[in-house]
Amino acid sequence: MFTDWNDLLLLPLAAIIIFLFWAALTPFETLGWWAGWFGDTIYHDTTENSSAPTITPGAAAETTPARAYVLFLSGIGRVSGQTLSYREQGFIDRLRQRLPDAVVIDNIFPYSVNNLALTGQPIFARLWQWALHRKLEGPALAGYLINTRNMLQVAIAADKRYGPIYNQAMAEVMLDTIMRYNFDPERPVPIILIGYSGAGQIAIGAVTYLREWTNSPVTVISLGGIFSSDPGILAADHVYHLWGTQDRAQIWRFLMPGRWSWLATSEWNRALRQGRATIIRMEGMGHTGRGGYLGRHPAPDGGPSNIERTVETVSAIIEQAVADNARRETARTPI
Amino acid sequence: MPDLIMSQPELPGFLETLRLALRLDSTVYVQLQHDALGLIYAGLIVLLAGVSESLGQSVVLFLNRVQPRRFVLALSITTASHTVGYFLWTLTIWSVGSWLTQRAQPWSSVAVVVGLAYAPQIFAFFELTPYLGNLIWGILSLWSMIAIVVSLHFGLGMATWQALLVSSLGWVVMQALRRTVGRPILQLRAILQRRAAGVPLIVKKNDVAELRRHPVRDWYKQLETRRRGVRLSPVRKPRPSSNEQTHVHRLE
Repeated sequence: MFTDWNDLLLLPLAAIIIFLFWAALTPFETLGWWAGWFGDTIYHDTTENSSAPTITPGAAAETTPARAYVLFLSGIGRVSGQTLSYREQGFIDRLRQRLPDAVVIDNIFPYSVNNLALTGQPIFARLWQWALHRKLEGPALAGYLINTRNMLQVAIAADKRYGPIYNQAMAEVMLDTIMRYNFDPERPVPIILIGYSGAGQIAIGAVTYLREWTNSPVTVISLGGIFSSDPGILAADHVYHLWGTQDRAQIWRFLMPGRWSWLATSEWNRALRQGRATIIRMEGMGHTGRGGYLGRHPAPDGGPSNIERTVETVSAIIEQAVADNARRETARTPI
Repeated sequence: MPDLIMSQPELPGFLETLRLALRLDSTVYVQLQHDALGLIYAGLIVLLAGVSESLGQSVVLFLNRVQPRRFVLALSITTASHTVGYFLWTLTIWSVGSWLTQRAQPWSSVAVVVGLAYAPQIFAFFELTPYLGNLIWGILSLWSMIAIVVSLHFGLGMATWQALLVSSLGWVVMQALRRTVGRPILQLRAILQRRAAGVPLIVKKNDVAELRRHPVRDWYKQLETRRRGVRLSPVRKPRPSSNEQTHVHRLE
């Protein structure tokens, strides 16, 4: 069969078909979860993190209540709730130092409907463990399997058919996670979702549901995020989009029609007009790596490094959200 | 079956037929339409396209929380209904075509030609692809539309304008039938699907944004109670390496 076709052409064609097959099968994980095929469980990685969080999960509430809950959602390179990137770890550490009153959480895996790590999945655990080893030890190409798999989950979150389901699942995982850190849905403590890269979409998608379940204001910080025009943008109290001037990955936004400037009625453009979404230019920053948002090398002119500038910007946003919330609360409290 | 293949050595095999039908190759329509094997091939293509299409549209079954075993049953009902649709579509094309061209075509030729035009729908499964589903649906619809016109043109010897007119008129007639005499059939299909699915298929595709997994706002209280009453037990044996997620615990 197909003998008269150019053999060279067959390879990319086969690759495309295999990819399409994989892509078309991906939604079954989300859909099956919704249909109740995989149960209600939300999985949690109980392996201790190298850096101790400010409050251990489930600890008694005798500590002073947190003033904000900051959830960091990692980029598409992750396989579990643990970060593989020392830059991300550095970012979290600095953020925790900078915001001692806030609970900063990063141990969730935003590319799985029930927070189950890829390496813990029932059938494909071995494949992902293999891919993880390749990612860590090379050849890196096999490691890209992980990135592709997670990118497909971002596509699910952006899809109009699956998005509402996937986003509900993620919002559930997020709520369950922060409640493990003594979050009380009845109290209006600000929730800040930081979505790095593809997780920008995951963060924005979950807002709609978090707003329904809690009394908290929800702020989204997209750290070079790739996201579509999701209803969550208008559900959030504010969306801040940190956009590096050297961030080439932002070109992906052209794949999302709602992000095109001439589609004036899209959620994203409405939010921009209403001042509920803000684009913050990050001078000279790229998407990942040395020159990326979390790059630790000092600037050539001796100025602060990228990671310091990013932490400063993010902290300022969080402090602003906390202050706004305090003001609102004071106004609401009867004298 | 083997006798048929032996006696008709010049006829293409099934995969070759499929390839030619996908390429809208004019020869395949002419070669196969007077042969019993053509009918079998056309039927196979229609069946495969039906399975693929039912899978591509299975989202709605999940939305209504169909159980795994019921899922397969519901899919087969949808596939069967696609096949019935093919017979009706053939009948429509046959009657409209015969009336318009004033030339009686053998029914089997029409069935072969129309069946081969179903070939692009074999890829309907790919409509499930996240984010690109609509695009793929659009491409396949266009491809199928061209396929039916081309197949009528080459297969049944209609002029291009006739092929265009017959297929669009056929579509109009099908739509009219759906809304009138076809109603009981559609209702029967709905009943069969409901019975197969085992759950009322209330949720439609467009309702997905309004869907909520938990009907009450403070469902999260269940999270607390669930967690408090249970002891954590490992699902997988811990592994020595420290870099992997080795201690996945589940709450139950």
